[in-house]
Amino acid sequence: MKNSDAQSITCPYCSTQSGSFEELREHILADHKGKGLPTPEGRIRLIINGDEHVLHVEPDWTLYHLIHDHLGMTGGKQFCDRGACGSCTVIMDGLPVLSCMVLAIECDGRTIETVEGIAKAEHPLIESYVKHHAMQCGYCTTGFVVASKALLDRNPVPTDQEIREALSGNLCRCGTYPQHVIAVQETAQKLRCEKDKKGV
Amino acid sequence: MKPFKHFNAYTVDEATAIIGRYGRRAVIIAGGTDLLGKMKDQVLPTYPEALINIKTIPGLDSIREECGMLQIGALTKLSAVAAHPVVLSKYKALAEAALRTASPQLRNMGTIGGNICQDIRCWYYRTPLNRFSCLRKGGGRCYALKGDNRFHSIFGGSVEKGCMAVHPSDTAPALIALGAQVVTSKRVLKAQDFFQVRLNSTTVLDSDEIVTEIHIPEPEAGTRSAFIKFAQRKSIDFPIVNCAAVLTIDQDRVTGARICLNAVHVVPRRALKAELAITGHAITEEVAEEAAKAAVYDAHPLEHNAYMVQVAKTLVKRTILGCGVG
Repeated sequence: MKNSDAQSITCPYCSTQSGSFEELREHILADHKGKGLPTPEGRIRLIINGDEHVLHVEPDWTLYHLIHDHLGMTGGKQFCDRGACGSCTVIMDGLPVLSCMVLAIECDGRTIETVEGIAKAEHPLIESYVKHHAMQCGYCTTGFVVASKALLDRNPVPTDQEIREALSGNLCRCGTYPQHVIAVQETAQKLRCEKDKKGV
Repeated sequence: MKPFKHFNAYTVDEATAIIGRYGRRAVIIAGGTDLLGKMKDQVLPTYPEALINIKTIPGLDSIREECGMLQIGALTKLSAVAAHPVVLSKYKALAEAALRTASPQLRNMGTIGGNICQDIRCWYYRTPLNRFSCLRKGGGRCYALKGDNRFHSIFGGSVEKGCMAVHPSDTAPALIALGAQVVTSKRVLKAQDFFQVRLNSTTVLDSDEIVTEIHIPEPEAGTRSAFIKFAQRKSIDFPIVNCAAVLTIDQDRVTGARICLNAVHVVPRRALKAELAITGHAITEEVAEEAAKAAVYDAHPLEHNAYMVQVAKTLVKRTILGCGVG
């Protein structure tokens, strides 16, 4: 289903009607030099884990649907699909958000980091999570890792309480909560050590 | 989700113009954390034909102090409200309310405008696929009245309709207690006049009216505020009861008081009797207790929610005492 309202497209700078997007593009290049070109509805540009993607999305796709089902990044998981569990957490422009409750079409120009990006960068969180076994069935784990990464980016020296607060939007039915605090604290320490070494 | 059309609006006028074309078949989307859940569950008998995204309207997502007012853009994220230094120092009740709303992720998505415009969470209303066609959907009756009403109103239903669903917002009581004004695309409303029980709506907004800003007057010298939320879990959950108090204290005496409870009635409820009971007194345990009793004197709980009266009473007392220290 195309989400353009009608067959003709109206120029945003004057009220000229164009039959297609290409025609509109030529009209704007010719008559409104220097003004921005509009993008067709449903086309978005995203930076996911450092790679630029230009995609056509339908209005009813969530960001989760786009990342998981269309781009094949299956690290983030869908559990509740209602914004209540945190297992689909991604980092959008530096802040953790729930990808199941964000419409993909509204993410144009955003920078997104998923758990795949965190793994690719060999972030020490992964190692700490494995070492302290901060998981049991593992379904919620990627959501916790992403939320923890977002916290450590903002706050390199978190207290235990700050970690608990930052992870309070993530649910774990296996009850692995105490392990997350240990794993995140150890990671924070490792990151500080690495930084100090680089500093010297 | 079922298919729908999607528009990015770049000005408030553009958004209202698109609603003008679609009428009630189009819905405004800001943070979307409430709306998308409703659409996924197909809670309502009707499904929106189009969503109008207002996040693309520039200039509505900032907080600034101007003309003796704190002006908060309606699209300001709850996390930004909770962390703003001015809000934290002068409007503590609002900072706490925003911080206690939902979860960290949802606070990065949800806006303060959306928080006061959100729909009710009654489990009969929210049952997927419109299983219970209740009063708020134009149906015949309130299912909570004879059903499981442990999270419903303890001050009766709305006058004409009888719906028992409570208003779930955390920031609403704080804004009412702080004497805020809600600026919409058409008018300026007092926060306490903003809420109303209607079909598919919790506010007095017309279908083509958009909340653009929230203005809070600068508190008088000696004003302190507090907010407490009681919920099943500390995070994610909606309130069972919450309460905000704003007290102006002059030489140890309370000279002005505004106390507002929420999630106890179909709209946020000012505890006027409690305000009267505390005005002119020094804040002590006994005075707070008396005021708390006055706040719930006319409560008439349903079959399963008598405990909420005790919770409401305790929260009024604790918020009053919370204003007394620090």
